[in-house]
Amino acid sequence: MGSTEERVVAVIMVGGPTKGTRFRPLSLNIPKPLFPLAGQAMVHHPISACKKIPNLAQIYLVGFYEEREFALFVSSVSNELRVPVRYLREDKPHGSAGGLYNFRDLIMEDNPSHIVLLNCDVCCSFPLPEMLEAHRRYGGMGTILVIKVSPESAYQFGELVADPDTNELLHYTEKPETFVSDRINCGVYIFTPDIFTAIQGVSTQRKDRATLRRVSSFEALQPANRSLPTDYVRLDQDILSPLAGKKHLYVYETKDFWEQIKSPGMSLRSSGLYLAQFRFTSPHLLASGDGTKNATISGDVYIHPSAKVHPTAKIGPNVSISANARIGAGVRLVSCIILDDVEIKENAVVIHAIVGWKSSMGRWSRVQASGDYNAKLGVTILGESVIVEDEVVVINSIVLPNKTLNVSVQEEIIL
Amino acid sequence: MKALILVGGFGTRLRPLTLSVPKPLVEFANKPMILHQIEALKAIGVTEVVLAINYQPEVMLNFLKEFETKLGIKITCSQETEPLGTAGPLALARDNLVDDSGEPFFVLNSDVISEYPLQEMIDFHKSHGGEASILVTKVDEPSKYGVVVMEESTGQVERFVEKPKVFVGNKINAGIYLLNPSVLDQIELRPTSIEKEVFPNIAAEKKLYAMVLPGFWMDIGQPRDYITGLRLYLDSLKKKSSPKLAFGPHIIGNVLVDESAKIGEGCLIGPDVAIGSGCIVESGVRLSRCTIMRGVRVKKHACISSSIIGWHSTVGQWARVENMTILGEDVHVCDEIYSNGGVVLPHKEIKSSILNPEIVM
Repeated sequence: MGSTEERVVAVIMVGGPTKGTRFRPLSLNIPKPLFPLAGQAMVHHPISACKKIPNLAQIYLVGFYEEREFALFVSSVSNELRVPVRYLREDKPHGSAGGLYNFRDLIMEDNPSHIVLLNCDVCCSFPLPEMLEAHRRYGGMGTILVIKVSPESAYQFGELVADPDTNELLHYTEKPETFVSDRINCGVYIFTPDIFTAIQGVSTQRKDRATLRRVSSFEALQPANRSLPTDYVRLDQDILSPLAGKKHLYVYETKDFWEQIKSPGMSLRSSGLYLAQFRFTSPHLLASGDGTKNATISGDVYIHPSAKVHPTAKIGPNVSISANARIGAGVRLVSCIILDDVEIKENAVVIHAIVGWKSSMGRWSRVQASGDYNAKLGVTILGESVIVEDEVVVINSIVLPNKTLNVSVQEEIIL
Repeated sequence: MKALILVGGFGTRLRPLTLSVPKPLVEFANKPMILHQIEALKAIGVTEVVLAINYQPEVMLNFLKEFETKLGIKITCSQETEPLGTAGPLALARDNLVDDSGEPFFVLNSDVISEYPLQEMIDFHKSHGGEASILVTKVDEPSKYGVVVMEESTGQVERFVEKPKVFVGNKINAGIYLLNPSVLDQIELRPTSIEKEVFPNIAAEKKLYAMVLPGFWMDIGQPRDYITGLRLYLDSLKKKSSPKLAFGPHIIGNVLVDESAKIGEGCLIGPDVAIGSGCIVESGVRLSRCTIMRGVRVKKHACISSSIIGWHSTVGQWARVENMTILGEDVHVCDEIYSNGGVVLPHKEIKSSILNPEIVM
């Protein structure tokens, strides 16, 4: 009943290498979207969520990374989830909406009735089928996923005001200095193809203003948009804010978890949220054990099938262990991500940390942190191939790749 | 004649510079560190240089192609698949280092900058007839290093003492050796330390001799020593009346300026400054005791001292950058910003002042 007409295309913005330096030092070794949370690449989570949408035709990943960085992942995830995923590289910055517009021909090839736009670095339950249904009921051009946050933290995001009955977006402002609303923009959107017309409208308007500037010196002095190229269109300031209150945009509120994954500390928190979600959606992915044949597991834990964990170790809660890791006898792991090929020797302890690929921790060594995900040194990060020698303690620190620690350190960044 | 340069690992002490470029290719006095050594070796007739590396061989190999032809010397890489210490790489490169001539070969550490008195070393080696010669240098604080205890008149080495707690001597291993091929017979292909295992054995046989390095010596593997090393190097250029040093009313002391760099009006440059190719130093800028890498733009009225500014960075107008500030590649310090010892990773913009030494990731 019209279902063959109602195809959906999803676009996931994945960013690029020099754009966000907040994810260092982990981003020195891997593109942020491919960093594993709860055992799956960060971008894998929104891709799986898109799969739940009926009539999903295609998923595009859009970013500034080199194609070869995503080639392997894209082919593997397409096979695994049986959904066509393709990486598209932006040649230059077009802004969050301009990027979408840049690939409109490709997106519209499948003649979709709806376009789902997601930011990759968002940790979320992605209630896309429900959101799509709500969007159809509203009948607008776009629906924005929103969540209620504490008033004190709202200023970090895009704040929205919506009509409580019709859910129409009445007002939108990005990172305001004063309090506007405790409902914020989650970075997940559903649009109809009219969005492209709206984006084009912004470009044209800017082009006209540029022409006007050449004619009128007054226009030339206006600070706003003075230095933006005409095809650089930002979703928040250029589309959402101006269109609010004009019966084009609506909101859908989620009461589930939501976090922005900007720092390595937040990736540990997000990994925990996804592990908790697995308990309901995919419990077979979580590990279990009671110390007899397998290690003692407490809370939500993911262990890659190729990892080896000694039965006397105690793992969890919130632990994710990647491929080929070796966890020795008597090891205690709490709230941590252990990446590929890591070796942790006997009786070592890890609490609130990320242990980088190929690193090794000596016997009775201890790597820990306060666990404050927002603090710069709140989660200890060991980069790739870091060696922590026997009995050494590393607290609230960040260690760049290829370092050997033979003395204990606290509150330090080690280059 | 052959030579081996121990290039080794990741150069972590020279981060953030070595996050962009492998350490031997980081410029010192406007020339890649390793080129200083390769040129000194070529000058005394070395025909083949082996680089013992274990990191980023592709980048090194590209560099080599360029310089092999330019310099007319054969350069090969010997890649360690596991770290082999300071002696193991020699065993690995054995086939490149010994030939039928039976001549001794040089071994250099890539972090060391000095006068390279290599011809004097060859003469010294011939005169004592031993198996191995090492260069030693006098330092003020010997207990930070490995001290070489030697007989003063002949130079015969009695023993090595690593980081001695009491004073045993003030000459330390300068990291430049001249070895007979027979030394290789004593080195196995496994992680081995030349100072702890190989040399003590040769010293016990009374076949190891040390020559005191005349002139300057510096291990420039970390930023503070890199800056001191530049002063010593430029000083030695001055002593030789080198035409490479800049002169003019805006120059104080020893300064090196690449010919493609542009310096504006009203600047005061020096002492101990190196300005790399393609740099633009705008008017009214004060530079002292610093290295400005290729492609940097220093804007008007800025002041930089005791710092290293990484490739293609910019320092804003009226900015003040001092006290061991190290900027990685492509770092942009905004106008009027103050940096006191900021260590900044590549591709960052500094929009607020750094009041105390800190690492900016």
